[in-house]
Amino acid sequence: MARYLAGRLAGVVLILFLVCLFTFVIFFTLSPDPAVMICGKTCTPDRIDQIRDVLGLNQPFLTQFTGFLGGIFAGRDYGHGANLVHCAAPCLGYSFQTNQSVMDMVVERLPVSATVAIGAAVLWLLFGILAGLLSAVKEGTWWDRTAMGLALGGSSIPNYVLALALQYVLVVRLQVLPFPQAVAFGDDPVVWFQSYLMPWIVLATGYACLYARLTRANVIDTLAENFMRTARSKGLSPALTMRRHALRPALTPIATIFGMDFAALLGGALITETVFGLNGVGKMAADSIAKNDQPVIMAVTLLAAFFVVIGNVVVDLVYTRLDPRVRITAR
Amino acid sequence: MSDLLVVEDLTVTFPTTRGPVEVVKGVSFTVGRDETVGIVGESGSGKSMTSLAIMGLLPKGARTRGSVRLDGTELLGRPERELRRLRGDQLSMIFQDPLSSLNPYYTVGLQIEEMYRAHRDKSRRNARQVAVEALAQVGLPEPERRVDHYPHQFSGGQRQRVMIAMALVCGPKLLIADEPTTALDVTVQAQILRLLADLRRESGTGMVFITHDLAVISSIATRVLVLRRGEQVEYGTAEQVFAEPRHDYTRMLLDSIPRIDDEVSA
Amino acid sequence: MTPLLQAENLTKRFVTRGPLGARAEFTAVDQVSFEVRLGETLAVVGESGSGKSTTARMIAKLMDPTEGSLHFDGEDVTRAKGAALARFRGDVQVVFQDPFSSLNPRHTVERILMAPLVYQGIAPDGSRRAHAKELMERVGLNPDHSLRYPAQFSGGQAQRIGIARALAVNPRLVICDEAVSALDVSVQAQVIELLRRLQRESGFSYVFIAHDLAVVRQIAQRVAVMSKGRIVELGETAQVFGEPRDAYTRTLLAAIPRIDPEWDRRRKERS
Repeated sequence: MARYLAGRLAGVVLILFLVCLFTFVIFFTLSPDPAVMICGKTCTPDRIDQIRDVLGLNQPFLTQFTGFLGGIFAGRDYGHGANLVHCAAPCLGYSFQTNQSVMDMVVERLPVSATVAIGAAVLWLLFGILAGLLSAVKEGTWWDRTAMGLALGGSSIPNYVLALALQYVLVVRLQVLPFPQAVAFGDDPVVWFQSYLMPWIVLATGYACLYARLTRANVIDTLAENFMRTARSKGLSPALTMRRHALRPALTPIATIFGMDFAALLGGALITETVFGLNGVGKMAADSIAKNDQPVIMAVTLLAAFFVVIGNVVVDLVYTRLDPRVRITAR
Repeated sequence: MSDLLVVEDLTVTFPTTRGPVEVVKGVSFTVGRDETVGIVGESGSGKSMTSLAIMGLLPKGARTRGSVRLDGTELLGRPERELRRLRGDQLSMIFQDPLSSLNPYYTVGLQIEEMYRAHRDKSRRNARQVAVEALAQVGLPEPERRVDHYPHQFSGGQRQRVMIAMALVCGPKLLIADEPTTALDVTVQAQILRLLADLRRESGTGMVFITHDLAVISSIATRVLVLRRGEQVEYGTAEQVFAEPRHDYTRMLLDSIPRIDDEVSA
Repeated sequence: MTPLLQAENLTKRFVTRGPLGARAEFTAVDQVSFEVRLGETLAVVGESGSGKSTTARMIAKLMDPTEGSLHFDGEDVTRAKGAALARFRGDVQVVFQDPFSSLNPRHTVERILMAPLVYQGIAPDGSRRAHAKELMERVGLNPDHSLRYPAQFSGGQAQRIGIARALAVNPRLVICDEAVSALDVSVQAQVIELLRRLQRESGFSYVFIAHDLAVVRQIAQRVAVMSKGRIVELGETAQVFGEPRDAYTRTLLAAIPRIDPEWDRRRKERS
């Protein structure tokens, strides 16, 4: 087990390193000179040189790359002499736009994205799995066909359309919800809940539709298994037969898909956060891309990669607990 | 003493797009207490449908006619709730493929226990003890340890032993074995046949043994029913059916099977 | 006389990687040697996990051996590639267990039967259709059905298509991998009879892989009994069945369920 974990973690580190490297290469070769951008409209050649010097942009590629990596693990210094700025580890540099520490920005916005992700996950698991279960049990009936038709439609609505439609109906026309505001839970739980409700619904809809269809397909497959016939031949109650023998085999694969989906969402829900003006990692990514704010783009890319890779490992570990056939036996 | 199982004029019909199709056409036979009756037939003969009809486990939409009486109690048309009380308790079943017939997510112990707890004693501790004893009874070594293992940790023959242990845990009056040795190697088949015969004799359970293999049937059944496309073509004692078959189909079947001890004309 | 096929010390090891990254080596076939003579039927029997199917795959060159050598008609084909392999495929054909999964459901029988010729780049004598019909007739199928699809045939008929396909290129060796195991007994008897008749007509050799010893007895001149990757006994059919030398062979034979010979005798007397 320990050896397995060590191997997996080594893999994680390698993948994250490669993501860093590729992102860095792309910026180094493709994007316009950040010094010019930072310098702005009233710019002199001297000023540009100075910026390059402070940020280390005049260094060769390898030096810049190791500087970036070093910053994450040991912190780094920008500029020298009187202009020296120390950026403590883990240092992701400073935003070209706002001069804020990128690490601080991430720490500030991550809870917003996590709130969006967790709330949406609760909604889509609840409704997706319930609808899928009902459909599977009532396969071929009016309910099944309607629910699956809706699920197919629902999973093809783009999030921004749904978001704008919801806002128009709930906020502008019916006025049952206020316009989303940035309120902490502790300050006003009601407004907090109202502000997050729409993002949750928007984000959850597509997933719920997908999970409903997955659940239905898995449950129907499981109900046709030979061991279900055995369970019935044993005279077990229908409730026990369903709960114990059908649900666990049917839902185990969904648990692993959920792990991956949820991990990806922690890296930011770009569209939903932007539409609702939520200051999460997703909006930060959108803003930084629009303004070519390299250090921030680097950070959100790495963060997303980090969650996906870690999510993968967690899912694999959890799966070994859920399915005895792949259980890792300690030798 | 009356017969344990009386099947009279059993007919099973499936609805299809081209109208209802009869897959079992008026089958009648009896199983005495302490007796093994073999049902033999090729694919599509309706032998498995007959067994599922007795268990009340036919797929949705199937319709039955006739009568199936277990110890005087009519099973056909009985409400599902009451059938469920009988299933596993009065009559139980083992299947062809023991691997897919056991749930891979649970230990064999749990799968035996849940059956005992559904019909007998709800307490977890007693059920576990019963499961260990059941595994010991079917000749699994180290039952205390094996009871906590999962189906994939057993060999094919051991899995069928687990299925047998489970089927007999409530001491049913009737055991239906549907091709229980077909998926097994011939040496393992011999062991399982011996085990089934021994356990049946000790417990006095009646058995319906379904197979496509005439040689297997001849070694385990006292009476034999031959089915072909849902119809009953021959029914009699094993000796009658094998030594004095009345129907051409039975004769053809018996001529078809290669004999291991025959001299072969090359 | 050189044997048609000679397998020497064929060995197949599989390496699996456990979840812990631990390597586990499993020897499926261990130093197996035998020869197949011209026009004979050699049966390879064994229980599951005995290595008989892996052996079949190696001599059909569907899988490379880890060690050992394979000679066909005196030529070393162990590592045959390209033209040599194509020539080998023209001489050695396989009939598989499940006829339906080994026949392309979207192709007509005619197309299925002609595929080996197309692969070999051989033009049949006369038209393709005529050749396909002739093959169907040889295996006892109605030649008018040459434009039907596999799903329109029964299991026994589908297996006849599989056999006809193997015959299309006039092979010298046909490997039957559990070719009659999935069939009902009445159909099985007919297919065995067909296999014997075809051999009498064309004089090719069979390697007959099976788990059912009674079937093997009907068709093989020699039998190799495999257990745990090794051949434990190899001999004339009458000897292996009549006076088995190996303990495992005896266990195997003893385990086969038998119909009371007394009943059989009485039945035959009556008819």
